[in-house]
Amino acid sequence: MAEQIQKKLQGELEKYQQLQKDLSRSVTARQKLEAQLTENNIVKEELELLDSTNTIFKLMGPVLVKQEMEEAKTTVSKRLDYITGEIKRYEQQMQELERRSEQQRETLGRLQQELQRAQGKA
Amino acid sequence: MEAPGGASPLSPALVGRLRQEHEKVVTSCQEKIQHWKKVESDYDALQERLRTLPDKLSYDIMVPFGPLAFMPGKLVHTNEVTVLLGDNWFSKCSAKQAVALVEHRKKHVRKALDDLQKVMKNFESRVEFTEDLQKMSDAAGEFVDIREEIEDDSIETKGKYRTAHKPHSKPKVSNVFEVDFPANGSDTKSMGRFQSEEELWARLEELERQEEILGELDRMPDTVETNGEDTTSSEEEKEEKRTDLNGTYRTEDCITQGSFHREVTNSDLFGGQVNGSTYYHSDDEDDIDVGDSSVPTIFFSHTVEPKRVRINTGKNTTLKFSEKKEEAKRKRKNSNGNGHATPELPNIKTPADIYRVFVDVVNGEYVPRKSILKSRSRENSVCSDTSENSAAEFDDRRGVQRSISCDEATQSDNSEGILEEEEEEGQQQLPKKHPPSSGTTEAFSGTVIEKEPLSPSLIPHPVIAHPVLPTILERKSEEVLSEASEETTKRISKFKAARMQQTN
Repeated sequence: MAEQIQKKLQGELEKYQQLQKDLSRSVTARQKLEAQLTENNIVKEELELLDSTNTIFKLMGPVLVKQEMEEAKTTVSKRLDYITGEIKRYEQQMQELERRSEQQRETLGRLQQELQRAQGKA
Repeated sequence: MEAPGGASPLSPALVGRLRQEHEKVVTSCQEKIQHWKKVESDYDALQERLRTLPDKLSYDIMVPFGPLAFMPGKLVHTNEVTVLLGDNWFSKCSAKQAVALVEHRKKHVRKALDDLQKVMKNFESRVEFTEDLQKMSDAAGEFVDIREEIEDDSIETKGKYRTAHKPHSKPKVSNVFEVDFPANGSDTKSMGRFQSEEELWARLEELERQEEILGELDRMPDTVETNGEDTTSSEEEKEEKRTDLNGTYRTEDCITQGSFHREVTNSDLFGGQVNGSTYYHSDDEDDIDVGDSSVPTIFFSHTVEPKRVRINTGKNTTLKFSEKKEEAKRKRKNSNGNGHATPELPNIKTPADIYRVFVDVVNGEYVPRKSILKSRSRENSVCSDTSENSAAEFDDRRGVQRSISCDEATQSDNSEGILEEEEEEGQQQLPKKHPPSSGTTEAFSGTVIEKEPLSPSLIPHPVIAHPVLPTILERKSEEVLSEASEETTKRISKFKAARMQQTN
């Protein structure tokens, strides 16, 4: 009986660890997205500062590709939207992960208690 | 910030950890601030360079050629600057535009710097707080619940010696008083003078212990049983009269045994001594000699007590006053199997012995009992008889009671109310009431005796009336005078009779 519980406990523990990893991954991804968000904001602002006489390039790999001002601005805006969307998604993901990890924690606690009881009886 | 904020339990480890966390945050903030400051300075330098760059059309420079080589070259198009806007976006701008961009970036940098400064300040204050906490915890040692161990057992009831009904129960404050024993023991014995209550109690304790040592407590199981009531009552009274015992250790009498015999010895010792000094002696001797009761029962031999005279128990004493009465009672009854009657009685050979032996207690003080034929005798009526008193004694008692009642009347203002009641106090609860309620109205004692012969007997008794009657008597007598004639036919209370007599 105790062994069973112990096995169960192990399984639950692994699940919990997995959840924690996912959570941390989400957190880092979100942080990255946030940095990109900031950056794109700056780019947007700086593009505002520039006028049409300036040529705008986009770095794609080793090549600088010429871009139109409006195109650049549009791209940047889209990028910004995309980033914010990503952040939201990640936020939701994180919440979900947290909830699941909490549940997992409870399960773990219960199992531990059972294990202790079983061990105590034995 | 990931700093641990909020309230934390005041333990040195946790406080230390909190402090560490605070410090970590502060250091990280400082690092970031440093970083941003560097960035800002770089930007400033860049701006400077951009401003001076378009001054010349071309510059002769040493162009870096790989990591280790340089080669001479020229810097042309000094006004064209390709600026990285961020996120892989570039733009070609003039130097001035570049400057503007740089300025814009610097704005961001400054903003970040300000935020970091704020955070750092906050955490610095927090660090200070935790430092103070730590200092406090270090100074005060560990934060421990304030506990005060009460070890002082001497703060026990002093004087509330409820040597209850258990034979071996003792009052608590033993240790405190033991110290007094050697100091005062001899004194009490030798000097035999009044002592404070506490000392007396200590003495009591000692005597009890002696008793135990001598195995005296196992002496009289009978007395214990029989004396149960008495002991309780006497103990109660003892409690009551504790304050009254100014050196009168009556209780000592009672505590050891309740045997009459003891009292005899006590009484003998009392002969000629009114204060309680003899008690000590007697008690000592009693303790040593008489080993009657196993239960330390308290008897009040000479205190005012309700008469518990239950002569059924030969040993029971009731020690109540007027052993003489008991004597008479026993003679009258001629029963109760008093084999001990005689030995229990004090050794009274002459009438004078009576008054030597039995001492009244008036308000805790000893008052030598005077002959009942005298006016002040039996004032505080130690005598409490049951209803079985003989008529002869009864008459005497009547006189006494009248005097007593007169006294009581004087003491209380409700003389009127007392009059009839006192008259009818065939039995006394008088003695019981006297000391405790000297100031209170003498309520009806409880027993009513209607006896026709009373009135004729009362009339000649006014002579015995207490001469100390207050003016109330006079007044009353005036009021009553008119009724005197009527009352003559009826029963006249002693009081009234006395007054009448006085007025007459």
